[in-house]
Amino acid sequence: MLRMGIDVGGTFTDLLLHDTESEEVWLAKTPSTPQNQSVGVLEGIAVIGRLADVGPERLDAILHGTTVATNAVLEKRGARVGLIVSEGWRSMLHLAEAWTPGPLFGWMIYEKPEPIADYEDTREVPGRMAADGTVVRALDRDAARAAVADLRDRGVEALTVSLMNAFASPEHEREVAEIARAEAPGLSVSISCDVMPEFREYERTVTTVMNAYVSPVLDRYLSSLRTGLDEVRAGADLQVVRSDGGLMSLESARSIPVHTMLSGPAGGVKGASFVAAAAGFDRILTFDMGGTSTDVATCSGGQPIITRETTVGEFPVRAPSVEVESIGAGGGSIAYIADMTGALRVGPQSAGADPGPACYGRGGTQATVTDANVVLGHLPPRLLGGEIGLDVDAAHASVDAIASRLGLDVHAAAAGIVDIVNENMLGALRVVTVQKGLPPSEFALVSFGGAGGLHANALAALLGCFPVLVPPESGVLSALGFVAAEIKNEFSETFIRDAEDTDADELRARLGALAGLADEWLAGERVADADRRVDYVVDTRYQRQGFEIPIDVGAGELPDLTLEALTERFNVVHERLYGFRLPSGAEIVSLRAVAQGGTRSPQIPRHDPGPADPSAAQSGTHTVWAGGVAQEVPTYSRAQLHAGARIEGYAIVEQYDATTIVLPGHVATVDPYLNLLIAPEAT
Amino acid sequence: MTQTAVDPITLDLIENALINARFEMDEVVRRAAMSPTIRVQHDEFPMICNERGQMIVGQFGSYIPEVIERFEGRIEEGDVVLLNDPYLCKGSISHCNDWLVILPIFHEGVHVGFASMFGHMMDVGGKVAGSQVNEALSIWEEGLRIPPVKIFEGGVLNETALQIILNNTRTPIVNRSDLMALIGGCRAAERRVVEICERFGRATFSAACDALLTRTRDAMVRLIHQYIPEERVSFTDWVDDDGLGNGPFKMVLTIWRDGDVCHVDWTGTSDQAPGSINFHINEGLCKLFFGIYMIMAFDPQILFNDGLYDVFEVTLPEGSLLNPRFPAPLSNRVNTHTRFFDCQSGALGQKAPDLAMAAGYGTSPAFVFSGTDEHGRYFQFVELLFGGIPGRPIADGLDGHSWWPMFRTTPSEYTESYYPVRIDHYIPVRDSGGAGLHRGGTGIEKLYVFTGPGEFTVHDDRALISPWGIGGGRAGGRSHKLLIKADGTEIELPSKVDAHPVQAGDRLVFRTAGAGGWGDPLERPAEEVLRDVNRGLVSRESSERDYGVVLDGNGVDERATGELRARMAQDRGEVPQFDYGVLPEGVTVG
Repeated sequence: MLRMGIDVGGTFTDLLLHDTESEEVWLAKTPSTPQNQSVGVLEGIAVIGRLADVGPERLDAILHGTTVATNAVLEKRGARVGLIVSEGWRSMLHLAEAWTPGPLFGWMIYEKPEPIADYEDTREVPGRMAADGTVVRALDRDAARAAVADLRDRGVEALTVSLMNAFASPEHEREVAEIARAEAPGLSVSISCDVMPEFREYERTVTTVMNAYVSPVLDRYLSSLRTGLDEVRAGADLQVVRSDGGLMSLESARSIPVHTMLSGPAGGVKGASFVAAAAGFDRILTFDMGGTSTDVATCSGGQPIITRETTVGEFPVRAPSVEVESIGAGGGSIAYIADMTGALRVGPQSAGADPGPACYGRGGTQATVTDANVVLGHLPPRLLGGEIGLDVDAAHASVDAIASRLGLDVHAAAAGIVDIVNENMLGALRVVTVQKGLPPSEFALVSFGGAGGLHANALAALLGCFPVLVPPESGVLSALGFVAAEIKNEFSETFIRDAEDTDADELRARLGALAGLADEWLAGERVADADRRVDYVVDTRYQRQGFEIPIDVGAGELPDLTLEALTERFNVVHERLYGFRLPSGAEIVSLRAVAQGGTRSPQIPRHDPGPADPSAAQSGTHTVWAGGVAQEVPTYSRAQLHAGARIEGYAIVEQYDATTIVLPGHVATVDPYLNLLIAPEAT
Repeated sequence: MTQTAVDPITLDLIENALINARFEMDEVVRRAAMSPTIRVQHDEFPMICNERGQMIVGQFGSYIPEVIERFEGRIEEGDVVLLNDPYLCKGSISHCNDWLVILPIFHEGVHVGFASMFGHMMDVGGKVAGSQVNEALSIWEEGLRIPPVKIFEGGVLNETALQIILNNTRTPIVNRSDLMALIGGCRAAERRVVEICERFGRATFSAACDALLTRTRDAMVRLIHQYIPEERVSFTDWVDDDGLGNGPFKMVLTIWRDGDVCHVDWTGTSDQAPGSINFHINEGLCKLFFGIYMIMAFDPQILFNDGLYDVFEVTLPEGSLLNPRFPAPLSNRVNTHTRFFDCQSGALGQKAPDLAMAAGYGTSPAFVFSGTDEHGRYFQFVELLFGGIPGRPIADGLDGHSWWPMFRTTPSEYTESYYPVRIDHYIPVRDSGGAGLHRGGTGIEKLYVFTGPGEFTVHDDRALISPWGIGGGRAGGRSHKLLIKADGTEIELPSKVDAHPVQAGDRLVFRTAGAGGWGDPLERPAEEVLRDVNRGLVSRESSERDYGVVLDGNGVDERATGELRARMAQDRGEVPQFDYGVLPEGVTVG
């Protein structure tokens, strides 16, 4: 089989082609075409086709991650969604759970986003379910018909229905949907119990509306891509990467687009975990530092940690997603001195790509993290293989303005900017490790993204997570993650019951029924019987606690599953996360079946180690300032470094789109997969 | 400890590390707590202090020296102090529901600081479920008072003390879990502070704490010089009643600047109430509230810490609503607490337009429903409700949002899954947002339908005195409670009700107050008024009466609107700085 992963980034489109029979892998990179992304994609397919001598018609599967859905929300470019709710609940999205930010008086300066379904496009329908699924008041079908007609005439582009307690009984929602299909045959209709059949009305409604909101945007994009592929006779299956790092078919992505909200970051995390696992590290922290933001995540057992609650902008989305912590710190983050206190602060404001850091020479004058790295000498004044020269004087001038206000010299100020942005990123790494009860020392740090290599060594030293692993080409990591991903989906129901009152047979029967749905879906995704697997997750908490913890139950464990064993497993995890267990009983909240379809992952090419001496790859030296002292530091060309090479810090390793710093007291070695592994020098 | 200089970058690093630690405390507590008040509504507050007990980062007033004095220096590693008696910590916590823990932090055996948190417990005993007793005449009726005790001593839990404490609450399992969550939060801070000491050195940490205190003090002095006038500025507002038929209670605030110091004088405030609305506020906390208010308006990233204590001088008349004598009841102090903030806005806003916020819903409305379910099990449901956020310089107030930071409504599907009550509607109250260039937020109305017997308790305020508007903005709508019995009988209720029995089929209409508007309503863009009318937030009558906006079938009648607005502007004369709405007889603006 020929499987191809495609990652469309802001600047480049990366492609990776894997022949599952011959185990050959080809890589290609082409400029992205933001106006119409499929142009760049098709160009890439042509390039890689020439490399591998494979025509587009021979491809079997094309695996694609996309940020189109997230961007639609952040840029407010989604569909106009009409929302039908239970009588008395029209203001649910407007009231937005009443949340205002901290601290005290945070409301003074809070700018609240408008709901993604307009107040004016929300209608109520009489009829009410109780929380146990019994009918309190029958649905008023005439009112439902009138609401649908009204919204249709107002010009909404999609209809969603989210009624109170629909998680307990979907009957009323299905009735409204049926009426809607009759009254407004041209409109897509979605109901909350299909999109997210779990309790908590606000989150379920937002998730359902968001699903409809991003649907046409994603649909247009995928259709244009599909058309483009068809034009070059690439008839391969187009599969889309989900927020949890799994794959699903084009049809599934179209029916539940809200599962692609974190598709982009999930690919990078998945790729990082795959590369690291091949290199022998199955517990990693991923560190993806770009221009404006940094994403970090934890992977354990070679797999990303999955959460069921995430946020897009300020909106809560309940969909299985790779647990990514994102903060506003990147190469473009602006350093400034606070008016009232004189404190040095870095970000979250960013110079972005335009004007960008001062050293880009596009008119930016404010010092950024990138400028500080130039001043320190960590970033030699050439990027992208020498294509873009950096304006060192402009970088100095920008950092000098900060330095004079702090009463420091320019190099100390630059070091301060780097230290502070590191501290901010350290906060994010702590959130995904120590705050979850995970000791960072048991993890390796996998660095990618344009700015990651400049900061990874310093961060690992602060957090104590070695080695730092820098893959040979971070651009291709996402594409590799796509190719390594499994076909995946989740099926869930809310089932609230005290563990001690739960009958194990009933629990197994309910999970079994969900497994039936999962298996049916896998069949629909054309996964062969032998490649199908269904695992289980039981969301559990102490009675009436606010947060559930997902407890994994393997496929093979279901027949012998007891409530006692489940409860004990939950107690252990709770103790790890929060430091204590409670005498009160456990309570089951939701049941999930996780459908997975195995795929053939590529073998990453191995290289036989050569001599340790890296001098053949040395490209020169560069002046670096450390502790107020200038020193000449060797620079190496990453492309020339062979497996087995050993570089002692202080050193700079350059590649065409990224630079890696090896700090004094540390050693970088090149492993057989050409990863750079940085660790403290053995003492 | 000898003086150690700390370079500006290290200082900023330590500041960041402390801020990260402070948010980690919140995160640990919210995830591990069991009660909805903490885990959903986030009624918990963290702080990290230096070895002298001065708050370096956090969100409440330091009281640690007063408490620690009681142990005569015998505070060891592994100790955790618990207390909830407001009269034994000079009002750092101001009612018995707040349980406060203090954990001394040691690095290599040397005492370097304290971590502390308090959180609102579901119940601490006393006369009514939830322990917020409208009818209490003394603190003896408001539940168990815990003096500072070592609940952990040298790392060992004092199970005996804990058993006695928990046995005096209606919700022992929940309280136990919430208490452990608070201690877990403090332990997180302890680990972080120890890490900071290891990274930068103990002496550097201590010096950085001092520098952070100085930095906040200096910033505060600048803010005070810019925004506090030398002449005296006064503002008056009222708390409706004390739940026993007394009131309204007057609160008078006068502020002025003398050199670097801002004077905050509450002389003229009513004597303490017989009922439980007394707010025993710690002087330091009073200073902190002024500091935070000004910091939030100008640079929210400035650390709130004890550094600003030196630049405020506070007068809290003894025996007044703000400084009651033991054993005055305190449990419902939130009304007075919030009115304190309203007075702050009214006084600061007169000379500094950037600080001018209108009044909001003015309390923390609460609904408590308890009883015994059909299986004979005791249940107790507590939820907080929200109302109008004040009209603000930057924008409209938010409708039905939380004045208190990071609170959330309890999902109704959660409530209905566990308790014999259904919530039939949850809507903004039309016309309850005070008119203004920036409209005040509306109050909300919830309709509770009881599906089984029990008794409910209600806490609210601003049923009598409206939330005022500022700078031409109009007053917002008042709160209201109505019980509709299953047979259709309607019973008007006051805003404070204790343990009222109900049967299945009874309904309670719970309406909270809105907020005052900001700026001249005649200048509000007509399309915004139209949008509010379309959303059902403003009536057509109000559109004409308060905004001078005339609507026809399709939208704004531009010509009629222009004429009406011109006429109204001419007829109304001078616009007062504050609009109090309709004041009850005998209440005067002072």
